[in-house]
Amino acid sequence: MVDVAVVGAGQTKYGNHASGLKGMWAEAAQRAFASIDGDFDPSRIDEAFIGSLAFGGSQLGNTAALLTEHSAMDGIPVRRVENACASSGFALRDAWMAIKSGQADVVVAGGIEKMNDLTPERRRYWLGVSGDTEWERLAGLTFPGTYALMARRYFHEFDSSHDDLVHVSVKNHLHGSMNPLAHIQKAVDFEKAANGFMVADPLTLYDCCPTSDGASCVVLAADHVAKQFTDTPVWVKGSGAASDYLALHDRPSITQLKATQLASSRAYSMAGVAARDIDVAEVHDCFTIAEVLATEDLGFANRGEGGQFAREGRGVLNQGDVTVNSSGGLKSKGHPLGATGTGQVVEVFKQLRNQADGKRQVDDAETGLTHNVGGSGATCAVHVFGRERS
Amino acid sequence: MSAEVWMGYLLDHQPAFTVVQSPFVHEGERVFGADSDATTLAVASILHRLQHDNVTHVSVPEGINAATVAVATGVSLHDDDEHPATWDLLLSDEATVVLARHDADVELAAMDVEIEVDSEFKQAMDMAWEQELQHHHVSQGAYVSQAQYEEAARPRLLLEGQHGEQGAVWPPRYSPHSNESVPAPRRLARVGRVQTWTTLSAAGAPSEFALRAPVLGGISTVLLHLEDGPNGVFLVVDDEEFTPEMDGRMELVLRRIYAQEGFIRYGLKARPIHQ
Repeated sequence: MVDVAVVGAGQTKYGNHASGLKGMWAEAAQRAFASIDGDFDPSRIDEAFIGSLAFGGSQLGNTAALLTEHSAMDGIPVRRVENACASSGFALRDAWMAIKSGQADVVVAGGIEKMNDLTPERRRYWLGVSGDTEWERLAGLTFPGTYALMARRYFHEFDSSHDDLVHVSVKNHLHGSMNPLAHIQKAVDFEKAANGFMVADPLTLYDCCPTSDGASCVVLAADHVAKQFTDTPVWVKGSGAASDYLALHDRPSITQLKATQLASSRAYSMAGVAARDIDVAEVHDCFTIAEVLATEDLGFANRGEGGQFAREGRGVLNQGDVTVNSSGGLKSKGHPLGATGTGQVVEVFKQLRNQADGKRQVDDAETGLTHNVGGSGATCAVHVFGRERS
Repeated sequence: MSAEVWMGYLLDHQPAFTVVQSPFVHEGERVFGADSDATTLAVASILHRLQHDNVTHVSVPEGINAATVAVATGVSLHDDDEHPATWDLLLSDEATVVLARHDADVELAAMDVEIEVDSEFKQAMDMAWEQELQHHHVSQGAYVSQAQYEEAARPRLLLEGQHGEQGAVWPPRYSPHSNESVPAPRRLARVGRVQTWTTLSAAGAPSEFALRAPVLGGISTVLLHLEDGPNGVFLVVDDEEFTPEMDGRMELVLRRIYAQEGFIRYGLKARPIHQ
């Protein structure tokens, strides 16, 4: 079966973006095309998948068609992919499958979200639409609340405390301070991160990702055409995805994400690698507790030892077992919902090509991973990437 | 008289009638709590009476939401020529509801528990509800339509789940279990233990609570492991000065959740069981 490579990847800076949807997407696509060696002709694109929650509802219908209209992708089959915050992780998987199926040779996967042009009331509504509305929302929960429930339970079950979450926050702010495309490019010390404004007890402001605008775009190519675009493709070695109960209370355990466990085991198996082989991982740290759980569910730490993993700095750039969120993660790089999944790929693409800017290059990075979660774990897509094809 | 506390209300149980009264007082008058009304008191009165009597055919006065009472108690409210009411719900001016046998003589005794409500708090809460209850008020909250709310009314108000192969299932599921096409309904006990909890700041509360969360100083949610097996998430009763504790026992009582488009959504909220 055909192998799939990433041949180009680009994104806007995340943050409070001056442009709207069309402008941001055009910028991300342009940066992705520019990252391809030589002149890239967008007419080579056979298909496109664009992830977005359509936050705010400003372009809820036919989002993808509008965007490709503004990025020289005229006439290609395109659709919006929606799986909450995992939208573009799944867009990537759809794009990968389109090539795997033999129906396409060159496919774009991307994502976009415009979040900062709403009133606070509208924003709060849209931030909570991906939980189980009938039960969780009527119990007063938005995602800070949902993840706060997970955090408190985690502290109860294991040898962990809020201090472990502070270590995650400090690390990701440090990494983000070296990323010129990050929303928050500012390191914070332990004391400050430990004493943030309480959002949802026990989670403070420093445990929560920012609300970001942004777009990201990745160009995938089949093995038989990849070399037409670059001499240094990054290969998609494994793709895994899974789902779980939407509502937290329906899950047997709320201190692990079954969807992450299933998706990662499938991705590792396909790639022929284990967690210990990953050099750089972009994991879905929408809240700091999410990164602690992810390090366990992805196999970087044993069950119940994710807090210890954070405490011992085992995810810090070039200092531990694996560099976790060299970009700054959602916590610092930002979280423009639909753009996040393919934005993670942009970082891994750079890292594996030794092109990470801002002193955040992971030494000898050969194998990378992206982990993109929808909601509180109802959907998850994990991808494993490598410099070598096999 | 020394009143019993039942579902957060004061209770006077007599052979011919049951009185349920709000414990809150403002300027010498009984007033409803932050998320209570005559409907929630009426439900509490029937649920208590059902422990002693077979209550059927209840007449419901204006001011009490009959549909909510029927679903939340599982009691038939038929009151017609064929099934004349054998019980009457009576509404007093002062945050008090009486469930009485038809034609019984009711004597209200003064109850000795009085929790004084802060004037500023009461005024702000009353204004918030008044605004929320306007028909044109459509918050930016997640939308649970009246039809969707009513479809799940029995699980939401009565805590009705299903018999499952491995115990009770709640909220009920549509996928059939193995050979059973429709699992039999099962009512769950309204008691559980705290598995985890959080308090959202007013700024972080969902927008459908935006008018009341600042008055309350945030809203608290618990995830309970119900005694019959399933887990559920529930708001903590609004007027309880209370910090949840891991593994603490809580009971579920009917309260207002929020209103939208002039329609109140009721649901079960959690309150501590004091040993």
